[in-house]
Amino acid sequence: MTEVLTVEDLTARVDEELIVHRVNFLVSKEETLYIVGPNGAGKSTLLKAVVGYPGIIVEGRVIFMGEDVTGSPIDERARKGLILSHQFIPRIDGVTVGELIEMVARVSGSGVSTEEVAELLEIRHLLGREFGKGLSGGEMKRVEVAVTLAAGPKLALIDEPDSGVDVESALVIAEGIREMIRRSPVGSVVVVTHTGFISKYVPPTRVCIMMSGVLGPCSGPELLDKVLAEGFRIEVA
Amino acid sequence: MRLLDTLSPTQLERVKAALAKPALYGPDVDVRDYLLAEGPAQEVEADEDRVREVGIDLERAKRTGYYMQVDSERIRYISGLPGVEVMSIEDALEREPEVSRLIWRLVDPATDKYTAVAALRGRGGYFVRVRRGIRMEEPVQTCLFMVRGGLQAPHNIIYVEEGARARVLTGCTIMPESFGLHAGITEIYLERGARLDYVMIHAWSRGTHVRPRTGVLAGEEAEVVTYYINLSTVRTLQTYPRYILRDGARLHSVSLILGRGSSIIDVGAKAALGGRRAAAEILSRVVARDSSRVVARARVEGAFGRGHVECKGLVLSDAARVEAVPGLGAVGRGVTLTHEASIGKLSEEAIAYLMSKGFTREEAESILVRGFMNVEILDLGPQLTAYVKNLMRLLARAAI
Repeated sequence: MTEVLTVEDLTARVDEELIVHRVNFLVSKEETLYIVGPNGAGKSTLLKAVVGYPGIIVEGRVIFMGEDVTGSPIDERARKGLILSHQFIPRIDGVTVGELIEMVARVSGSGVSTEEVAELLEIRHLLGREFGKGLSGGEMKRVEVAVTLAAGPKLALIDEPDSGVDVESALVIAEGIREMIRRSPVGSVVVVTHTGFISKYVPPTRVCIMMSGVLGPCSGPELLDKVLAEGFRIEVA
Repeated sequence: MRLLDTLSPTQLERVKAALAKPALYGPDVDVRDYLLAEGPAQEVEADEDRVREVGIDLERAKRTGYYMQVDSERIRYISGLPGVEVMSIEDALEREPEVSRLIWRLVDPATDKYTAVAALRGRGGYFVRVRRGIRMEEPVQTCLFMVRGGLQAPHNIIYVEEGARARVLTGCTIMPESFGLHAGITEIYLERGARLDYVMIHAWSRGTHVRPRTGVLAGEEAEVVTYYINLSTVRTLQTYPRYILRDGARLHSVSLILGRGSSIIDVGAKAALGGRRAAAEILSRVVARDSSRVVARARVEGAFGRGHVECKGLVLSDAARVEAVPGLGAVGRGVTLTHEASIGKLSEEAIAYLMSKGFTREEAESILVRGFMNVEILDLGPQLTAYVKNLMRLLARAAI
């Protein structure tokens, strides 16, 4: 079996509003899939629907590692290794970055050490900070990639790792994503981006465009170059 | 000298009149039953597991000192450190009649019906004195345990001499099936430059009314650090310790309150800034679940110094109620006072985030409650710090 994730006819609604419309895609072993599209295209909602986020009404099927997980709650999917890396992180009062990384590593049994991810993501100086409080855009992304690594994903779905970050942070985040791929038993990852900036450092093996809640077309890495040169609308047309 | 003999005839008259006087805050309790003469003394023993639940470790406390009181009569104590005296208040009065000058000086016995009951019927209580220059590492431990129920009204005195550093851990608890009124009076004196770290845990039962009355006088440059923790269900609990801070004295008061079952709780602290460099910080964290009702009060007032008040509440069920009452009072231009108050629920966004990383909903809620309760622990020494941290964990677990 080469399919890591199969998404079939997935429709997602938030507060009755249709955000994602009949989306189909596959993630195979050793695949780095990029889903690119403008702001508001439904990319984040698609990822949330795939991991079973509460508050999203979903139709269709999600099959992860050969198992139909469509009806299972978000934490169960996470414990199976399907992990969402968020675009924004919430504030958690009284819990430090270091404590949360440690707790996530413990609950997932990933064996990842806080020291190790802190070194890799250059967040050693943030370990004692309250989670989600007073972090810059780049710091927040680096912290979130560190937490995701600690969760030991088989497949991470990474939402906008490159929005609002400078080159230095992007390089570090890219290193974190490459580490996720190295550690994943299937060697795959899904990256959602509207800038494509991170693709310089984490090259895609396949690219899909998403606009107005619809996914497609999908093609090889060259599609991303074309989109970045000509824009999303031209491609879809 | 008996405790009752410390009252002057005038005080006695006022106290008798105060028996009908309800407290300013909290539900009114009929105290008449508790004024009746007690039956013949029975042999009562503390349940050791229950004592350990409130963190009291008498074996370890032999090194520093402990005071253990079961109901009103069974009292034992030990002083383990030179310069740290621990004894019952009656024995202290016997040995040094001048100790009577420390009784009812910071708490007026005619404040309300609970102080009046304590003044007329109170027995026992600890006397802890830490001599000049002594610096304690581990705390003296005191335990007030109710077995048969009824009335327990000890009168406690802590006296910290100039420049001494004292640590006291006190746990109050009751057998689960007992009903009663606990009206403990505590008067705390700190001489110039003294410091007291005082940790108090309450673990009552759903049949207990609790009305502690506390007064603290911190002399010049003295420092009081206090953590008060309520862990379990109680029928009603109301307490509002009052602190008087002289020039340069500092107070850091933290209350961590869990409202469970149908508990009615009204807790707080009030500080009077009595000198130019006095400073008070009063913090509370309240978590209310089930159908509990909790009021958190905090007030700083004065003409000098600075004060900060912070009341934060977390409501975990639709039937629970939390009220935060921060209060500030300034006279003149020499004082700076601030406050912060908030009441909310657990953030669904944060719960979903944690669940997306593999935590169950229950684990996620527990992490958030623990974070909410996680206040800074000032330098209390390793034993008290570990103890307070452990209580925070227990509180979070009990809240979910």
